[in-house]
Amino acid sequence: MKILVCIKQVPDMESKFRIAADGRWYDQGDLVFRMNEYDEYAVEQAVRLKEQVGGADLTVLSIGSERVKETMKKALAMGCDRGVHVADDTVAGKDPMTIAGIIAEYAKAQNFSCIFTGMQSQDRGSGQVGVLLAEMLGLPAVTTIVDFTYDGSLFSVKRELEGGTRAKVAVQSPAVFTCQLGLNTPRYPTLPNIMKAKKKELGSIPVDQLQKTAILQETERLYFPEKKSGGLILEGDAADLADRLIGILKEKTAVLA
Amino acid sequence: MKVLLVAEYREGKLLGNINELLGFAGTLAAEAAVFLVGKKESLPKFTGKLYLADVEKYREYNPDGHKALLLQAVEKEQPDLIVFSHSSYGWDLAPRLAFTLKTCQISEVVAVEGESFVVPACNAKLRRQVKSLSPKTVLTLQVGAFQASETGGEPTVIDIDAEAAPRISFSGYEAAAKGGVDLTKASVIVSAGRGIGKPENIAMIAGLAAALKGEYGASRPVVDAEWVEHNRQVGTTGQSVAPKLYVACGISGAIQHLAGMKKSEFIVAINTDRDAPIGEVADVLVVADLKQFVPVLTEKLKAL
Amino acid sequence: MFPCFPGSLAGPARIVGPGLKPIVRAGPFLQEWNTKDMKFELTEEQNLIRDMVREFAEKEVAPSAAIRDEEERFDRALMFDRLGELGLTGIVFPEEYGGAGADYLSYAIAVEELSRVCASTGVTLSAHLSLCANPIFLFGSEEQKQQFLAPLARGEKMGAFGLTEPSAGSDAGGTKTTAVKDGDNWVLNGTKIFITNAGDAETYVVFARTDKEAQKHHGISAFIVEKGTPGFSFGKKEKKMGIRSSPTMELVFENCRIPGSQLLGELGQGFKIAMKTLDGGRIGIASQALGIAQGALEAAVNYAKERKQFDTPIAKFQGVQFQLADMATQIEASRLLVYNAAYKASAGLSYSQASAMAKLMASETAMRVTTQAVQILGGYGYTREFPVERMMRDAKITEIYEGTSEVQRLVIGSALTR
Repeated sequence: MKILVCIKQVPDMESKFRIAADGRWYDQGDLVFRMNEYDEYAVEQAVRLKEQVGGADLTVLSIGSERVKETMKKALAMGCDRGVHVADDTVAGKDPMTIAGIIAEYAKAQNFSCIFTGMQSQDRGSGQVGVLLAEMLGLPAVTTIVDFTYDGSLFSVKRELEGGTRAKVAVQSPAVFTCQLGLNTPRYPTLPNIMKAKKKELGSIPVDQLQKTAILQETERLYFPEKKSGGLILEGDAADLADRLIGILKEKTAVLA
Repeated sequence: MKVLLVAEYREGKLLGNINELLGFAGTLAAEAAVFLVGKKESLPKFTGKLYLADVEKYREYNPDGHKALLLQAVEKEQPDLIVFSHSSYGWDLAPRLAFTLKTCQISEVVAVEGESFVVPACNAKLRRQVKSLSPKTVLTLQVGAFQASETGGEPTVIDIDAEAAPRISFSGYEAAAKGGVDLTKASVIVSAGRGIGKPENIAMIAGLAAALKGEYGASRPVVDAEWVEHNRQVGTTGQSVAPKLYVACGISGAIQHLAGMKKSEFIVAINTDRDAPIGEVADVLVVADLKQFVPVLTEKLKAL
Repeated sequence: MFPCFPGSLAGPARIVGPGLKPIVRAGPFLQEWNTKDMKFELTEEQNLIRDMVREFAEKEVAPSAAIRDEEERFDRALMFDRLGELGLTGIVFPEEYGGAGADYLSYAIAVEELSRVCASTGVTLSAHLSLCANPIFLFGSEEQKQQFLAPLARGEKMGAFGLTEPSAGSDAGGTKTTAVKDGDNWVLNGTKIFITNAGDAETYVVFARTDKEAQKHHGISAFIVEKGTPGFSFGKKEKKMGIRSSPTMELVFENCRIPGSQLLGELGQGFKIAMKTLDGGRIGIASQALGIAQGALEAAVNYAKERKQFDTPIAKFQGVQFQLADMATQIEASRLLVYNAAYKASAGLSYSQASAMAKLMASETAMRVTTQAVQILGGYGYTREFPVERMMRDAKITEIYEGTSEVQRLVIGSALTR
């Protein structure tokens, strides 16, 4: 069985971001990078599937500059067998359709039975690549899974919906799954596995070999939203205050939707 | 401009988010049509075309089927924008449509800026303004970002059917498992401070939390007094939380407590002291006696 | 960041002076910098190790650090067994002995990251690996390595080191514990004090006098003793100022009989084994001190950014900024010394002076930085609600154990003036 997991390297979200000189993305200098959190659940689930199916082979793929290889090494240290690095220094300017196209171009001849991705990236968050990839490969996709089992031919998964309700879904191999928080607890790469990862294959493919489409959307600018001005102070009659507060919560938060 | 709005039907009900999509269409002064896999008995109220497929036949989760039906509606309606809610249904279905139509999809729109759309980036710390380069565009809207609008009226229903062998089988729903409380996962937290006065008032705080569909927490003095268990403590010696909404009731805002919650996206403080330090991090400070205000607020929330 | 030389070292530093005659600088502090290839970078593996240990430390160890300190409670499952599961208990040993085959720098990083949140956990690993497993690796027979080192490396058994006695601290030659040959066995009598990991550890490397006639530090031999051996018991558990979550107890030997196969190294080689062991242990303690200092610095910086006085975050006051700057600079200098010593240890170079300098500098830095951190946090820093007072109490011991700062100065000074 061949398994693919697609990961993205993103900055630590606690970082202090600065806008890049061209105003269209964040400045990548001085940031600490890590694996996209949702992709960690994907890697963990992919490794578990590999461990379940004897003789399974697990490939991890990521697109980006040389820098992303360090994150790929973590995936190798968690249990992936090999890494495919698509060398692309300008991936930040590409849209989900193009990125999915690059991965599909690689994957189309590989015959993967199962493909995992995170449900979205923490920096851009468009949540499209996994599903687009499935469409391009002609495979069924299920998003936002928080439970996963495989019985040899059928994948039985649960999707997490708003409010915590879960939808029970089943699909035959081959299929694509996008992973949500709560699916599993990603393992630490243990020291012996970190040392073993050094010897695993991690090859680079230049992106021009795989990119076949033009981008369909462009970022005009990236900016900081207006800072909230000092707090608002409300006084008055309780019923009145409650109405006003509810109005503010509806306007400023998504909590009362 | 023509827009096709995708409504959702789940667990036997039409979901309310269609009203936000209608509100969005209204801000663009666009002609809105709606697509729904649902039931005739439960339709959104607006005047316009409603492309309806029977949920009994096509089922609530069936991406292959819904996509085929939606393509039919798009074919008939020829909209400029196809708009979904950025919900578990929307983000699952939209990219499939975008692929088949070879259009771009812009996800989680929070605002419109001329011909461009604004979406959040980097855990909502930043905003990104995006322009579509394709003739049609698929959008998903952030839940709660646009005002809901119930324009009222009765839609003109157009029945649609499509053949699509579903590759994915859906066998029903299950309720969320109730584990021990993990404040770090709650999107709303209402915390009790010393100002609640006595342990009996914890129920009032828990009630407000429930009305906001969140969890209740507490500051250290309340936990030390054993009015609340330790795993609900927020602060340096408790949990560090960053929910979408944090409501601090009767909490003065000592530095130990602030350290545990000041990264929350939106902070409301309820305190009789308008100079309480919590005011420095709060977006809204309600100067009131929580023992009077909280029950009133809770009732109003329940009535929504 | 620390020096990392790919490939082997190129010999003594060569400074080319006017007239292009190479000047070779000799002496114990031959700075063997191959400046052409020197890279102050961690390898990808070392970065991965740091990330992994940091994540584990923050998620699993940190939450209970304060309460374990308060209760003086050792949590073996968390502070040792988990380390074994992550492959940390045998980091530097070859895979054939159950280790991970990684280098000393990886070990230093692991101890530093653990100590950043809990100094007690850092020393648990350091004492186990450097003081017990390492001497068995360096001086044990093949049978001893299979029997004793492998379970230690795999984290199945925990190790400890018994050298210090009531009248033999810095003067380790004053060892009074005796080991007398009786047939094929050795019979041990005596007491060891201030032993880290004691009580919970299964394997102990213990030093005893085997030749009463010999002078001072000749005539001492090393032995491997296991918990549960009749005649081997534990005395009182010390109540300490800091590292309170790490157990420190007395070892009591009363006619404790152990097989002759448990003599470690040559007869009479004990003092040399102890000194060599402590050279490596120094790197562990230096890393522990470095981690403590780092944790304290971060706590101080975060607090200073939030705490407002006179309507300003105190981090904006020059006085506070100067203090933080000094703390950060001293930590960085300590880090370079620690990583340099670790690098030398793995490169097979002599590292006694390097590790003495590292331990001396890092421990004194830790004491200064943690004291300053309490000062910056002010009244709050003095309470147990904030971690800096614990870090300050933890830092003190790093200036004392595994060779006091005075002993480190002796090591460095005597080498300088030989």
